[in-house]
Amino acid sequence: MKKKVVSILLATSMVATLAGCGSDPAPAAEAPAAEAEAPAAEEEAPAAEEEAPAADAGTTTGDLAYSGNISIMHFSTSEESEGNGGSDGFRTCLANWQSDHGSITLDEEVLANDDYKTQIATRAAADDLPDVFLLQGMNTISWAKQGIVYDLTDSIKNSPYASQYNMDYLVPFTADGKYYAYPALTGGTCTVVIYDEAMWKEAGFDSFPTTWADVEKAAEYFSGQGIDTIAFGNSGQWQLNSCFVSCLGYQYTGTQWFSDIIAGTGNFEAPEFVAALTETQRLFHDTNIFNKDFNAVSNEDAREYYISGDAAAFIGGNWDASYIQATLEGDPKKDTTKFAVLPQAADAGKYEKFQNIGLGYGMAISAKVAEDPDKLAACIDLCQYLTGPAFSEFVGANYALAGFCSSDVDLSAFDQYTQDFYNFSYVDNKGCEIYDSYVDGSVWSVLNTEMQEMVNGDKEPATVAADTQAAYKAYLGQ
Amino acid sequence: MAKDMKMTKVEDNSAGTRVKRGVLTVVINFFLWFFSLTCIFPLFWMLYSSLKEKRVFNADIMGLPKEPTLANYTKILSNKDYRLMQSVGNSARTTILSVLLIVIIAFIVGYILSRIDFALNKPLYVMFLMGMLIPIHSLMVPIYIIFSKMGLSNHWYTLLLPYVSFALPMSIFLVQGYVKGIPTELEEAAAIDGSTFSKTLFGIILPVCKPILVTVAIINVFSCWNEFSFALILIKDRALYTVPLGLKQFTGQFTSDYPKIMSAMLITMAPIVIFYFAFSKQIIKGMVAGAVKG
Amino acid sequence: MLKSIKPKKWVVAAYLAVPVALYVFTVFAPLVAALFYSFFEWKGGPVKTFNGFANYAQLFSDEVFWSSFWHNIFLVIVCIIGQIGIAFIVVLLINSKVTKLQGIHRTFGFFPSTISAVCIGFIWQMIYDSKRGLLNYFLEKIGREDLQKVWLNEPGLVMLLVSIPLIWQFIGYYMVILLSAVSSISTEVLESAEIDGATGIQRARYIVLPLIKNTLLVCITLCVAGNMKAFDNIYVMTAGGPGYSSMVMAMYGYKVSFEQSNLGYGSCISVGIFVLALAVIGGSQLLMNYFMTDSYDRREAKHLKEIEKARKQAIKARKANK
Repeated sequence: MKKKVVSILLATSMVATLAGCGSDPAPAAEAPAAEAEAPAAEEEAPAAEEEAPAADAGTTTGDLAYSGNISIMHFSTSEESEGNGGSDGFRTCLANWQSDHGSITLDEEVLANDDYKTQIATRAAADDLPDVFLLQGMNTISWAKQGIVYDLTDSIKNSPYASQYNMDYLVPFTADGKYYAYPALTGGTCTVVIYDEAMWKEAGFDSFPTTWADVEKAAEYFSGQGIDTIAFGNSGQWQLNSCFVSCLGYQYTGTQWFSDIIAGTGNFEAPEFVAALTETQRLFHDTNIFNKDFNAVSNEDAREYYISGDAAAFIGGNWDASYIQATLEGDPKKDTTKFAVLPQAADAGKYEKFQNIGLGYGMAISAKVAEDPDKLAACIDLCQYLTGPAFSEFVGANYALAGFCSSDVDLSAFDQYTQDFYNFSYVDNKGCEIYDSYVDGSVWSVLNTEMQEMVNGDKEPATVAADTQAAYKAYLGQ
Repeated sequence: MAKDMKMTKVEDNSAGTRVKRGVLTVVINFFLWFFSLTCIFPLFWMLYSSLKEKRVFNADIMGLPKEPTLANYTKILSNKDYRLMQSVGNSARTTILSVLLIVIIAFIVGYILSRIDFALNKPLYVMFLMGMLIPIHSLMVPIYIIFSKMGLSNHWYTLLLPYVSFALPMSIFLVQGYVKGIPTELEEAAAIDGSTFSKTLFGIILPVCKPILVTVAIINVFSCWNEFSFALILIKDRALYTVPLGLKQFTGQFTSDYPKIMSAMLITMAPIVIFYFAFSKQIIKGMVAGAVKG
Repeated sequence: MLKSIKPKKWVVAAYLAVPVALYVFTVFAPLVAALFYSFFEWKGGPVKTFNGFANYAQLFSDEVFWSSFWHNIFLVIVCIIGQIGIAFIVVLLINSKVTKLQGIHRTFGFFPSTISAVCIGFIWQMIYDSKRGLLNYFLEKIGREDLQKVWLNEPGLVMLLVSIPLIWQFIGYYMVILLSAVSSISTEVLESAEIDGATGIQRARYIVLPLIKNTLLVCITLCVAGNMKAFDNIYVMTAGGPGYSSMVMAMYGYKVSFEQSNLGYGSCISVGIFVLALAVIGGSQLLMNYFMTDSYDRREAKHLKEIEKARKQAIKARKANK
């Protein structure tokens, strides 16, 4: 009985949010907890749910000829969705779509992100991909070449929501001018400095310094206090790339260099990129800005240093920002937590307020599905729904986030933290690309592993660049 | 056996020897207790840490919880995605069947390789030895391809194949090495009495091999229960998930919530660890009793 | 081997058929598949391009692979000494007559082997953690803060540090194997030795050790095999880092296959691991046979050989004389 009441309540609240009224959405911080249970509850009570899609902003409901199973694999686990707007929206919309299409059964395989990557690579190798899955940007070109992902160019161009799509997000999923995925989840920054304004005021800075030289000055003060200036975690080796170099690099190279890399004509040994690596090595190895154990802890550990006050700032991605927000709920520290872009490096020639932003994963369809046109239509409908206005409005209204579709977000309904982060991500700064959404895993694997040694002072930046270039050439020579 | 050893005494009661013996007793017992406690300590640490909240844990990772809470457990156990009972059932079935098969097969093959002289003996021995050297983690793709092409993945019996096969080399070696140490008179006497091969194998050798078979069983129970990689790539259907896989279904990337991770690990381990401690006396007895005297 | 009894061939064949078939299918089919793939340039998916021995050529000159190989050798050596050595000592101590509560030591000692590798890696990560970890906490308590380190970020130490949990986890494993072997030694043998006044160490060296030789050989083989394909614990603790400092072969194969989606080369690495492990096991068996044969036996064998040689020479000489 109790269960039913809950699900009806949830269904009602969802009608409100999905309809995109935005007049009185639940405050973001409360939403995650409430919504997290929604998918499970809905499966139990499809009857209560039926009205929601009707009120929904444009579903292509019920007119699908296909009936049967669709296998889908993703990594929005129920725990992940607590506090993570993208996952929450994904799970919610998936459950809605399922209850909308009674004749279709979704065979869901949900795995934590690490396991997901292993599993999807295995399936791709065996040419046995699930019908619908999440494609990582950097796999697009090689998987498209293999012919295992379905070409979605026409369906995207003719999508009922085409006018609302932010076409920039399609770039990582493009190979030979064709689109292979609907950019999924939410677009978020990969590099943000999260800092405690109050602590920096004590150090003599009203806001986060705009140059690394000033950060070094602050580091002297913070070291004296026995705390780290900036917490960073690189034990997974990808963090230094995605959440630091991919942003700092742009200060040195500007935008053209990476466009060349994407186009296959770039050069990792270009002096400006080596200079960015050199500065990275200097900052991590020669100064005492960062926590000493940056190479031995993950970003999840490092952000705890910030939360507990052992570090005055933290560098990470949007997922860290939303985690810190959820954890600091009710703590005064939340009100003094602010965001900044990476400070300017002294010898960086092309400085702008860069932050790298994008959608790392897109919803793709296995090429095999095309054998059954009805099934294909159903899969496309699913992809369009999960990346369409229903999703954008859900995450917009509940988390002030945006996805592939643009949506109007009424910022005034959110707390200061969410507003600040929205402005940081979408308004105030200059977006740039996330390196590892492009090119190929074989290149990034080399760069990431060697950079870990580099910031220990055990490898020269020029060597790292040369080895990466060799891997890049090997990749291009395929 | 220990009892037997205590019975023998070469009485030498000079004061010096007594002191020496006393010191030795203390040293040996101290060392063993130190060893045992380091082995068991992590369990206690995980148990009491899982009763802490994340922040309390991060502030002091060693201390006992001042306000113990079961929140981590209720949160995990109340999550419907986990389907705890179903996954425990799957794990139990897979583990029990695998271990039974491992013990039976290892016993038969181990015995034959150790005692019967035939042309293929040495090649088979080497072949089973080589199985221990297969790096399964870098072979996951071929394994997946073969299983799915043969239609063998995603059934209730799927995991039995790799669990049994990859456990065989080690188990066969243990049995084989043990049988080598048994005097052949046993079988020869039976043969004179007119016992057939099969009768001797199960009627006479099997009881003698009990210690090593119990050892083989307990070693494999835990590896089957904890196994994750094969389960990840070979099982798709949620209804077939084992415990480690089921748990992974809902844990996200919150890898810094250590108390919660510990709770999850303890839940995964619980059935098997309870089983182990509850029956440890019998298990250990089985492991060391029944040995051949002679 | 049984000499006097010869069971019918078909009986033996019937007993072996199913196990061997099952085993070959599950264990060797993937390896054979990998051998096949290793001759292709294959980045996942259905498209493969034959490239002969190119992958093997790359493997021979791949510094990362060879440094990983030496890391595996390091693990093998450290673990044989640590795991089997300590397990042997513990077994002797547990069986000592002055030991109280033997059952508890056996039960507790095996406990680490019951936990999954992920869990073990996780526990030890907490011990090595630089800010809150036990090791640095302990150093602080004894006033040696100067020795505190970010343990898992020390390229020179990290292999040793990741092998300690491995040792710790598997002592219990070898302990139970050795316990069951020692239990087969007749108590009278030990008792009579004691009456002869043999010390504990002498008993261990001259009575227990030779009697459990077979089992010890099996343990060492298991230990070599296990460590040549080590993966789990290290993957959880360092994932091979910093850089490649704690990279082992199986992890490198995994990284190449999954992180770099280079399945052709990844298969080649798997084959390489298998061949190298086989070579190392073969070598260790030879070494073991050498050391395990009593020095007396060895002298005897040498002596016999010399006699034989002398005899042959004598025959030769006689023939030549004729």
